[in-house]
Amino acid sequence: MRRMSVFPQHGTALGNLGLTANEIRQETENNTSELVSDLVNLSAGARFEAIRSLHVPFNEKKTIRNRVNSVKLSKTILAADCRQQVSRSFRRFRASLASAMQHLVIWQDTLKEIGGRFGTSVLSYFLFLKWLLQFNLFSLIINFCFITIPQIVHAPNISSITGFRGLELLTGVGYFNKTVLFYGGYNGEVIVSKPAYNMQLAYFFTIAAYLVLCGVSLIYSTSRSFQKNFALETGPVSGGAWRLLCSWDFSVVNEKAIQYNKNNLAIQLKESLSERLQEKNKMSRSDRIKHLSLHLLAWLLSLGLALGSCAGIYFLGTNRELAFSFSHDPSDLGAEASTLLLPVVVSLFNLIVPLLYSLISKIESYSNPRAKIYISIVRTVILKMSILGILCFYWLSFVPTNISCWESFVGQSVYRLLIIDFIFCLLGIFFGEFLRNVIGTMCIQSLGVPEFDIARNVLDLIYGQTLAWIGIYFSPLLPVMQVLKLFIIFYLKKISLSMNCQPPKHTGRAAQIQTVFIALLFFPSFVGALSMVAFTVWSLKPSDQCGPFQGLNTPFHTIFNWTHSLPETHWVRWIFENILRSELFYYLISLIVLVITYFLWQITRGRKELIKTLREQIVNEGKDKAFLLNKLQNLQKERREMASYRPQDFDQTPHFNPNWMNTLPMDM
Amino acid sequence: MGNKQTIFTSQQLDAYQDCTYFTRKEILRRFHRYRDLAPQLVPLDYKNQPEVRLPYELIGSMPELKDNPFRQRIAEVFSEDGEGNMTLDDFLDMFSVLSEMAPRDLKAFYAFKIYDFNNDDFICKSDLEKTLNKLTRNELTEDEVRMVCEKVIDEADLDNDGRLSLEDFQNMIVRAPDFLSTFHIRI
Repeated sequence: MRRMSVFPQHGTALGNLGLTANEIRQETENNTSELVSDLVNLSAGARFEAIRSLHVPFNEKKTIRNRVNSVKLSKTILAADCRQQVSRSFRRFRASLASAMQHLVIWQDTLKEIGGRFGTSVLSYFLFLKWLLQFNLFSLIINFCFITIPQIVHAPNISSITGFRGLELLTGVGYFNKTVLFYGGYNGEVIVSKPAYNMQLAYFFTIAAYLVLCGVSLIYSTSRSFQKNFALETGPVSGGAWRLLCSWDFSVVNEKAIQYNKNNLAIQLKESLSERLQEKNKMSRSDRIKHLSLHLLAWLLSLGLALGSCAGIYFLGTNRELAFSFSHDPSDLGAEASTLLLPVVVSLFNLIVPLLYSLISKIESYSNPRAKIYISIVRTVILKMSILGILCFYWLSFVPTNISCWESFVGQSVYRLLIIDFIFCLLGIFFGEFLRNVIGTMCIQSLGVPEFDIARNVLDLIYGQTLAWIGIYFSPLLPVMQVLKLFIIFYLKKISLSMNCQPPKHTGRAAQIQTVFIALLFFPSFVGALSMVAFTVWSLKPSDQCGPFQGLNTPFHTIFNWTHSLPETHWVRWIFENILRSELFYYLISLIVLVITYFLWQITRGRKELIKTLREQIVNEGKDKAFLLNKLQNLQKERREMASYRPQDFDQTPHFNPNWMNTLPMDM
Repeated sequence: MGNKQTIFTSQQLDAYQDCTYFTRKEILRRFHRYRDLAPQLVPLDYKNQPEVRLPYELIGSMPELKDNPFRQRIAEVFSEDGEGNMTLDDFLDMFSVLSEMAPRDLKAFYAFKIYDFNNDDFICKSDLEKTLNKLTRNELTEDEVRMVCEKVIDEADLDNDGRLSLEDFQNMIVRAPDFLSTFHIRI
């Protein structure tokens, strides 16, 4: 395929070599024939992909395509003509299917508008939001179909204790307490009306299947993103060349945005120029020690703040919140409203502490702005994940021993956290963006229009999604809330962006930061939620009075009961008893995976060496090419000079000069 | 999926589909965008392949291109006559290469041609200066412009001939994964 990419050079390069027009035509014709014969030998899909990616103008592409088709036609026997028809109609069907699927894609025009006005890095936030929405929609659909509908249709109605009051929407207790919204609303009777439906197994398997599919999808996205954006990052990339030639965002069509981008580019180029000059000055030893100690201090402060918020939340949870569940007085609105205290405190911590972090980072000095962004992301992630961790610890160790029907309680807590987080997000949009814009433009002019902080917004999304994943086991219909929340946030953020914010200034390396976010969604977020659910299912005793797993030792015992109810020779039982429950199987699998990982790591190292050698080879070939071109041009020059002399002077044969007498020197 | 359209023959549509990254519906939509630029010049019947060429001024006034600093170079690179006057084929080719489905090599090739202002198959210093001027008109001084261009050539020129060849440019693109999403015009 390499030949295709340098075909044809449109005359200038070949012309420099001094070939005549005929020779150029001949050369091009040879290239075309070789190209056509190459293409004919490919499969149909690969052939069209290759034709599409040829570096030639459109008319030549069409000519090549027609030639390839005619060669194919002449080569195949007549009966294969209908094979061609079939393959062509199959391709047309696939293409029309693809265009029909485009109708299902929501927000296509809105995303185009956002990309056109704000550029690709801001667009990546909205694409991330859309991706999370897809996860939640999928979960909603399967939970609703497999768990909720059978429960509503077949199981006996559990009457509600109190009537509906408005506060339920916020706190999730009361009217909602025994509905299908939470774990307690499901019971585990095998529904004997036909068809028999084992609710325990359905609950277990639906949630397990969803989490496994999420995990697979996340691993796939992370590795693909990593491969695209990180794997080829070898060697120093300081940023001048790519900033000029590769970073201009062609998709921005709004005039003001383009002017803004131009200003940004100029500022960044100036910065990189001045950095280059400053690189010469090395820092003195005492300066370096001062910087290191400032960094250490900042890290200590950040970790201290995170620990402090965790401790505060834990004490609040163990002291105050249980007051309501112990009193169990449904008409005590005050006590019910006090359950909202914990979520409000959590959201306040999530809001204020990152602002404190950004203040702290002002005292530090960083070598490059990318390091600053990454360090602030790490600190915020540590904060959010430790808050979630302490909440999980509280839910899993403290709550089950103190409250009956504790799963519903946990589900309600997660529900409250999500709702309050949503309300704080709305408030954040109003105060953080709208009012800040008003202040920045009218009152204190020096502040300016607020920037759209992509990192903070994406981390908020990741936090919300972690909560949703944690809550799925305890409240199967929680994705409804998350879907509604994401929908509303999408539109509000878009409006707020247009009215109040400007795009971020430092948009370098957007693709790498995207990969980091996807990886964060997998590693602390999903893995944490999965381990919490796995711990609950594996080791905790479910509550006795409510839920589908009443009476079992752990929810996992459903599987034991089910396999024991199958006949001895059933293949599922055999697989379960002898493979999944034996430790040898897992040892073997781990060993095989480790060996394969080691092999792949060695292959990667070998390939890195190969890339280095090939790079050096490119440099050497460039030098060779320059040398040969030089030599060729010298030869051409000599040949041209020689052609301008009279032909006789080149005649090498001995030539008798009849006037030889006159050529003798005069004084002989 | 009936062939209700009367603009193209089905062989023409097949050819367009095979040579661009668009589906049939998208090709028809792009055709209508092309026609909207000059409804009196572009006929509704392309079956006998009329020779219609829209002048550069009309192409450059499209909302997707009108504020783009490189619109003239883009039109010149993709047009058959090199002046920016585009036939329907050129128009489809342009938006196909600039769509999100085009592979990185193809985009790198055309980006190289766009930045190569003097069409000599190399990006030399004057090309870089012109690029820089299109991107930042008055904000950099002469000295700064010169220094930036020198820095770019230092960093990217692998074969040390003082100018960037296509291979140097592609090598740089490989290390800039954002390029695929930024070299993209949505229509």
